[in-house]
Amino acid sequence: MKAKPYWNPYLAGVLLGLTLLATFLIAGQGLGASAFPKRVLATVGNEIAPEWTAANPSLGIYLEDDSNPLRNWLVIEVVGVMLGGLLGALSAGRFKATVEKGPRISRNGRLMYAAGGGVIMGFAAALARGCTSGQALSGGALLATGSWAFMMMVFAGGYAFAYLVRRQWT
Amino acid sequence: MTDAIFPLVFGSEELRLLTAIGLGFLFGFSLERAGFGNARKLAAQFYFHDMTVFKVMFTAILVAMVGLYSLSAIGLLDMSRMWINPTFMWAQIIGGFMLGAGFIMSGLCPGTSVVSAASGRWDGLVTFGGIFVGSFLFAVFMDWFPALGSLYNGGSLGESVLPTLLNVPAPLFVLGVVVAAGAAFIGAEKVERIFQQRHDPVELAPKQTWQTPRYKFAIAGALVVVALIATGATAPSLERPGQPMREMTPLELAQEIIAGDPNLVILDLRPSSDSTAGIPGATRVASDSVVQQLLSSAGAAARVVVYDDAGSLRLTVQGWPRDLDYRHLTGGLVGWRSEVVTPAEPTGYGTEEREFIAWQNQIAAFFSGAAVRPSTVAAPPVIAGGPKKKKKKSMGC
Repeated sequence: MKAKPYWNPYLAGVLLGLTLLATFLIAGQGLGASAFPKRVLATVGNEIAPEWTAANPSLGIYLEDDSNPLRNWLVIEVVGVMLGGLLGALSAGRFKATVEKGPRISRNGRLMYAAGGGVIMGFAAALARGCTSGQALSGGALLATGSWAFMMMVFAGGYAFAYLVRRQWT
Repeated sequence: MTDAIFPLVFGSEELRLLTAIGLGFLFGFSLERAGFGNARKLAAQFYFHDMTVFKVMFTAILVAMVGLYSLSAIGLLDMSRMWINPTFMWAQIIGGFMLGAGFIMSGLCPGTSVVSAASGRWDGLVTFGGIFVGSFLFAVFMDWFPALGSLYNGGSLGESVLPTLLNVPAPLFVLGVVVAAGAAFIGAEKVERIFQQRHDPVELAPKQTWQTPRYKFAIAGALVVVALIATGATAPSLERPGQPMREMTPLELAQEIIAGDPNLVILDLRPSSDSTAGIPGATRVASDSVVQQLLSSAGAAARVVVYDDAGSLRLTVQGWPRDLDYRHLTGGLVGWRSEVVTPAEPTGYGTEEREFIAWQNQIAAFFSGAAVRPSTVAAPPVIAGGPKKKKKKSMGC
């Protein structure tokens, strides 16, 4: 089966924007992604090294209210994102176990880059208190000052390093 | 006094959590259909030959921003109850730059890595795994390097929004962003056309029919119209009043009432059209002069709690006796009903949670019992503080 084409970017943007607006109106907060890893880490840390985790300035905040750190809107939302992504890909005939890469790089080389980028982004999102979803998109719509600074710097960082990693894509 | 219905107030946290599945689903589905499950399509943004990331992201920001600020302007949305990302300038500038570098290495950002992994892409799964490692490294580094902690908290401006920071009326600022983004979209289309002559666009680009300028300008036009309507309405204010009133939670108030504090004055400031019963012992007030009369006779030790229907109340205490202790009730009467009058459902989390619920139910029994059978009011339950329930945090992204 031939995959369906992607949506027009402006149409996709409108639907994404309406989803984001509905999130603000219903839940009183924006969408996010990087709270999920941090809350999972806080949960696991609480099992393995409860004292260290509770005292850690980055993870301890999720244990302060004595309830399960995974019992959280953003955590459940990410589960919804997984389901939405899966169904979106399946229904468009786009689900495929593969690695997205350009022709000039090996599969493992590409996966190394992906992992490295993930590590950097995990660190960066923890530092900035959010990622492209929670800061740039959600904070951007609220016109939050730090979120706009963050968004500009994401584009700056991407363009700054694009030349160095071009082997992956073209 | 506005009757802001948004953000919605839920009877229980479980109900609110349930909405996350549906909204997350829509988020993931839209991202996938936009092409954001494909690292090559996202990465192409940074080589100028496919500006989809920019177009989708800014359209979404525009729609949500115009929606938020318009609804706030016409009083349907209470921005003071919204969770607004706190600004930590240095952390977000450095973190943003790093995230951009990681983005072009992975070809994905944290949210899209989830979608990519869900659509079967190994690079998406590996990226998502890497994010866990990176978050863990950050936590460890926070312990090892105190300087990282100062960066993490550097440049704090609190809940800062650009219109307030730059002292521009919010509707005007929103309109400015819409116009600037419209110009940027036209620029992005031009850049794309130039660079696509050298590179093939990433496969599965949408069909040309959708990309007619007419369609794009229709959306841009609609946004501008909504923004203009917002301009005509009153400017939304995100600021708290000059002399902000502190909050009191329904459960705290319930304890005060049970304790029978003679200095407690409860003012019901709902519009007189609302005829449902208020909080026991509250005085219904219609005008400022009645309030002033009441308060001047109350004595210097009076502690004044005000409430309206949904806690959207933001009052300055100008004109009221200045030296009294004013509080407004969190969540208003709706909050009171859900936290105090309605017995809590046991959720089965730990002993402390159960103790808290038992204590909350004791209070609920006191108030609903007292209202239904006034003759059988026994001695008030012994309520000594009770386990402390901390404010929920919703932080991160």
